[in-house]
Amino acid sequence: MAMRNRTWLFNKYRDALKGARAPTRSSAAETAKLRARSGVAPAIEMAGTSLLHSKRSYTVVSTEDPGNSSKGAATIGLPPAWVDVSEEIATYVQRARAKMVELGKAHAKALMPSFGDGIEDQRNIENLTNEITNLLKRSEKRLQKLSATGPSEDSNVRKNVQRQLATDLQNLSMELRKKQSTYLKRLRQQLEEGSDVEMNLNGNRPKEEDDDLDDLMLNEYQMAKLKQSEAYTVEREREIQQASSVLLTVVESVNELAQIMKDLSVLVIDQGTIIDRIDYNIQNVATTVEEGLKQLQKAERTQKQGGMVMCASVLVIMCFVMLILLILKEIIF
Amino acid sequence: MVLVSAVRDYVNRMLQDISGMKVLILDSQTVSIVSVVYSQSELLQKEVFLVELIDSISKSKESMSHLKAVYFLRPTSENIQYMRRQLSNPRFGEYHLFFSNMLKDTQIHLLADSDEQEVVQQVQEFYADFIAIDPYHFTLNMPSNHYYILPAVVDPSNLQHFCDRAVDGIGAVFLALKRRPIIRYSRTSDIAKRIAHETAKLMYQQESGLFDFRRMEMSPLLLIVDRRDDPVTPLLNQWTYQAMVHELIGIQDNKVDLRSIGKFPKDQQEVVLSSEQDAFFKANMYENFGDIGMNIKRMVDDFQQVAKSNQNIQTIEDMAKFVDNYPEYRKMHGNVSKHVTLVTEMSKIVEERKLMLVSETEQELACNGGQVAAFEAVNNLLNNESISDIDRLRLVMLYALRYEKESSVQLMQLFNKLASRSAKYKPGLVQFLLKQAGVDKRTGDLYGNRDFLNIARNMARGLKGVENVYTQHQPLLFQTMESIIKGRLRDVDYPYVGNHFQQGRPQEVIIFIVGGTTYEESRSVAQLNASSSGIRFILGGTAVLNSKRFLKDLEEAQGIARTNANSYEKVRLDKSAHETDGSGSPLQGKSGRPHISPTTSVGRKKFQIVVNGKRSSISKTQPQPQPQLQILKLDNWEERLFDPSFCVVTKSFFE
Repeated sequence: MAMRNRTWLFNKYRDALKGARAPTRSSAAETAKLRARSGVAPAIEMAGTSLLHSKRSYTVVSTEDPGNSSKGAATIGLPPAWVDVSEEIATYVQRARAKMVELGKAHAKALMPSFGDGIEDQRNIENLTNEITNLLKRSEKRLQKLSATGPSEDSNVRKNVQRQLATDLQNLSMELRKKQSTYLKRLRQQLEEGSDVEMNLNGNRPKEEDDDLDDLMLNEYQMAKLKQSEAYTVEREREIQQASSVLLTVVESVNELAQIMKDLSVLVIDQGTIIDRIDYNIQNVATTVEEGLKQLQKAERTQKQGGMVMCASVLVIMCFVMLILLILKEIIF
Repeated sequence: MVLVSAVRDYVNRMLQDISGMKVLILDSQTVSIVSVVYSQSELLQKEVFLVELIDSISKSKESMSHLKAVYFLRPTSENIQYMRRQLSNPRFGEYHLFFSNMLKDTQIHLLADSDEQEVVQQVQEFYADFIAIDPYHFTLNMPSNHYYILPAVVDPSNLQHFCDRAVDGIGAVFLALKRRPIIRYSRTSDIAKRIAHETAKLMYQQESGLFDFRRMEMSPLLLIVDRRDDPVTPLLNQWTYQAMVHELIGIQDNKVDLRSIGKFPKDQQEVVLSSEQDAFFKANMYENFGDIGMNIKRMVDDFQQVAKSNQNIQTIEDMAKFVDNYPEYRKMHGNVSKHVTLVTEMSKIVEERKLMLVSETEQELACNGGQVAAFEAVNNLLNNESISDIDRLRLVMLYALRYEKESSVQLMQLFNKLASRSAKYKPGLVQFLLKQAGVDKRTGDLYGNRDFLNIARNMARGLKGVENVYTQHQPLLFQTMESIIKGRLRDVDYPYVGNHFQQGRPQEVIIFIVGGTTYEESRSVAQLNASSSGIRFILGGTAVLNSKRFLKDLEEAQGIARTNANSYEKVRLDKSAHETDGSGSPLQGKSGRPHISPTTSVGRKKFQIVVNGKRSSISKTQPQPQPQLQILKLDNWEERLFDPSFCVVTKSFFE
């Protein structure tokens, strides 16, 4: 892939031409400072030194010369206010992404077999999920603020910024839901496996113990076993409750995310359709701008022909006529 | 992927090093170049939040200095003027200029002159000066394509412009691929020779430093041919998906505009047919119409199943799954409706214009068949009322191209019938085509009846039978490519430029057709590339033709030739008017030789012709009666411009 950089040649020409221009401009300078320097500057320029030297001297002249605005130094002016909103949303998205990574780790940790009851893990996961969902919701609300009206060029920029952030948000929410669904699936699998194992344990032991021990021992043992199975059932119930609460939170977040996705899908461009083509968008911009102009002109025309103007002028004329009649009446009588 | 990925790489390079919010400014040509390879959503990913055309952006005065401007333009003088105006009142914070071809020093000087505020950060040349519509097919999309038909003296400046654009485009392709080729061209075509020599001059002399790439063992081959070597392919009706859509509806920059053929809902008025973005299209673009129908039916069935499963949502998991799959579902829905709409519309058109019937005869004319049967068939179709004018014209042209030398009487009969049947037919178009692309003007063996090997091959094919009558035609390009694969491209027909010769077979071949390519030819290229022949072919042209475009080019060329001829003739006639007697009355020439004298003013071109003592006036407003004359073979280029009915007259006039 060949390319050729012409910047060096361009800069050379630009500096040479600026040198040719600068003496004339400094002669028509307004400030005393420049007048003081103008004696010095041509001397530097006409020195006929190498390219490097002349470049340096030209930069000196350019920053002093009021004719050239110091655009070279402060190229980017102050952006409009909506840029701050878009940057805010971008930071939310960044934070949400970081939290997603944490959430992934927390999911993995909760799925690993552990001795504790894993309540902290669950709570951690819940918190993280809630935070991420909140961030997404907040971003979406701010995103609505970015919409602009009017066919100006700025509004196109805003619309496009909105689209890009909407795409990012949609991707994030889909990722979140995928993570949640895999976590749920694995959790359910684990619970089933656990319950199977426990059922097997519960089922096997009574058979073995019953035959070997005498009644008293059996009784005690049976009581102990009963207590154990009770503990197990309590344990199971608690786990089921946890699982259902997790499910509930997941359901809630699914609902919220579905809502967000619905709103976002309006903004996001489908890949591969005509809307995704650059030339289609350019044509549309051109046509909407023209349409806007036409509408404005029509509005102007109808305003001019408006009945209001007519009425007002008629009334004023009537007033003058009445006044004249009054004066005449006074004069005659 | 080669061409598309080259242009994509260029666009990526343009945008990647510049941080912050950007605005991309293109001109009317580069917008096509960028749109076919880059989508709007990808631009948004790269933080390009506004795309504008350079002529519309000069109208507005808003200052948006928080944006950085990236300009990607062709280095024309018009664009340089726009740039100068914009640089003198800069609206954006930074300016990065990229040009799609080589800048002249004077242009850089002009730009540097107007950049008083030093907002330009870089000026680079990124050689993406061609529209990469398919992986191995590019076009230059030239608006005035018809200049290749006219000889150089008619309109030298426009022809120079045409050649320059072609040379720039070809140079850009090779710079993008980083190769310097050996150039061959078609012997009988002047314009191919001219473009070939100018390209050689560019690559080997003027910018030899730029083109000095690492030499591989075998240099690639650039073959420049003329459309007039194979006028049959653009005239035929097509039955493979991409070619058919272009022929019946029209594809421009991989977009199809359906508004011209009917009323459609808002999102189906313009659709995108790109093999990069649409997997179904990529699998089916070279399939014929029957197979496409079956594949679309299968796609619709799949989609209906998915839609049905989305209908019964009972549990939360189903809901979650639905929301998960919703974007894909929507995309599939859009795709299915797009293809179904296209195929429906094409079926409708095929029904209306009775294209099955017409195309059968066309394929017979193009491929095989006896002269008598062909004449019968064409006659019957001309008599058929439901055939449209353009189809009749195409049939007669195909017949004329094939049986030009045999039985001129029958040919005349067909011309008369065509002129009488078609109200809008401009007389002389078929003859013009014959003059331009007749059997003596063509290189290569279009009908396979010039050398014994081809005749034998044709007979074998006739005996074997074809699997599909409608797609039996192979463009001449296919034969050329096969001879390149075998290493047997004749030097006599396709001479080399300069003193570069090549033994053996090249690894990469770029074929440039002056006058335009067709999608049928790009299909042959794709098929040969898919078969592992060891050689990679790339096809390019000045435009992408269908029969409408080809006929339009012919008409425009004929129009220009005619006006030029008339003005030329008027000059000569004024001179001759002085040579006659003072009375200005038509002279009875010696031995009954006819003379022409002008009678009226410039507006209406009315001539009186004295032929053998009898005066007959022919005016341009009426259709001319076709005299029972033979079309003379004329050597002098001036005489080529005139209509055959004047041939006899003018030849004697110039004696």
